[in-house]
Amino acid sequence: MIKAEHIAGLPEAPLDTSGSPGPAGPPGQPAAIVLRAVQKEFALRRGRTVQALDGVDLTVRAGEFVALLGPSGCGKSTVLRMVAGLDEPTSGEVLVEDRPPAALVRDHRLGVAFQDHALLPWATTFANIALPFRVAGRAVDRERVGALIDLVGLNGFADARPRQLSGGMRQRVAIARALVLDPEVLLLDEPFGALDAVTRRRMNFELARIWAERRITTLLVTHDVDEAVLLADRVVVLTGRPGRVRHIEEVALPRPRGRDITRDPGFHETVDRLTELLDESAE
Amino acid sequence: MRPGAESATARRAVWRPVLNAVSRYWTVVALIAAWALWIRVENLNQIVAPTPAAVFGDVLGHPTVYAADLGWTLLNACAGLILGMALGAGSAVAVWASPVLSGLMTPMALIMRSVPVVAMIPVIAQVAGFGNTAVLAVTVVVSFFPAFVMAGSGLRSAPAATSDLFTVLHASRPTRLRLLLLPNAAGALLVALRLTAPTTVLAAMLAEYLLGTHGLGKLFADSVTFMDTARAWGTALVATVVSVGCFIAARAAERHGTARFS
Repeated sequence: MIKAEHIAGLPEAPLDTSGSPGPAGPPGQPAAIVLRAVQKEFALRRGRTVQALDGVDLTVRAGEFVALLGPSGCGKSTVLRMVAGLDEPTSGEVLVEDRPPAALVRDHRLGVAFQDHALLPWATTFANIALPFRVAGRAVDRERVGALIDLVGLNGFADARPRQLSGGMRQRVAIARALVLDPEVLLLDEPFGALDAVTRRRMNFELARIWAERRITTLLVTHDVDEAVLLADRVVVLTGRPGRVRHIEEVALPRPRGRDITRDPGFHETVDRLTELLDESAE
Repeated sequence: MRPGAESATARRAVWRPVLNAVSRYWTVVALIAAWALWIRVENLNQIVAPTPAAVFGDVLGHPTVYAADLGWTLLNACAGLILGMALGAGSAVAVWASPVLSGLMTPMALIMRSVPVVAMIPVIAQVAGFGNTAVLAVTVVVSFFPAFVMAGSGLRSAPAATSDLFTVLHASRPTRLRLLLLPNAAGALLVALRLTAPTTVLAAMLAEYLLGTHGLGKLFADSVTFMDTARAWGTALVATVVSVGCFIAARAAERHGTARFS
């Protein structure tokens, strides 16, 4: 069921820099996100620096769901922030749709959801989902917002404020908001990281369902191996700091992925292997 | 339910509000009792210190005298509060928008904060003249600084994740201000309102006492001049009650606003 591909899993041997088919994603699809030899250093006090990323090469193809997995502090969120245009690489190149991320941001073609739902506490569910329209200076497409409320299963909560919603519901609003302008690329930074295990698993299946309907190029940052395997076409494992690509796992589980997928022995085999890799990375 | 139990419940229903009131306001009653006792023990003349009965009697016996001047004081306080808070919030936005203005406004605001308002009154009187304009200027000065500081802090305290979201959504600075920063600063501005509202009433009264032609401060000054001590103390009593009332109203507005904006 699962095709696992261990690729010379060494930091010195980046996995995919060319944007060529094969490990880079579905063959025949153009590259949507490209990171080439990306290094990132953060300045500390007294002129000292800390290296977060070292020579990261990665290609995500259009319509592909890639999960970035790594131990805490390995720089996986930094990768996502650079793709979102929130941080610049110290050296190397980050391209989204063959352009710098800022260009996609300017066109409002990027959707993001963070671990912190970042909802406006004074706005209703409807207003929070409609926010990207207002920021972009466009008329709010009420029909689209309504359809997204429906898609994320929040019918009847359109007028509720964030504090009236559960943690899982708030994250659904955040995901609906990320999708409202029909983005070309969706970036998810541990969107379910603050939820309890049961809600988190339920939200994983919800996201799998939503993604199956849209198939937007998605980069998910997570430290939850089950979540990564359940959702992604490929799982990229990073080493501990400084983060390098250590391994890429191609997950060939059939879609749509329902609850029965977690009973598949192949699923558990992959999860175990990736957990072991993650464990080694953390040491 | 048994008849005995019913009557016990009814007794509790009657006594509970009374006990609640006593537990909350016993300090006020104790203060008035201490005031009456002090006058009796010291055997003070009415011209030196009036009894609580004389002061309450004057306030309740001449409500129109107090009401007219109270109206003036409240008008001065409210107008000053609104103008001062609007100027404070506007200046905070200007400082947020421009580093040049930040260098100009921040030291000025600090001076306004550091110098006591009493020391500023002669300067304000020289500029604005003796009269209501000067009284209004004093209340504006008192209301300005808390609004300036709190709005400034509110504008700078938007959550990092929400700020990142606005960056990814490519929000312009005016859009960020309108949709994120100003609503985010609303709670802090309401804190400034709670802090300022009672002070503004007292500042209006002080300015009226020194410069004004109407208001509770002027009533107090006239009462002192004509040795009408009961009225002078009555004026202080009314001002205290109104200040507390303003605090309670502002706190209610803050609670309502906090529930709305957070």
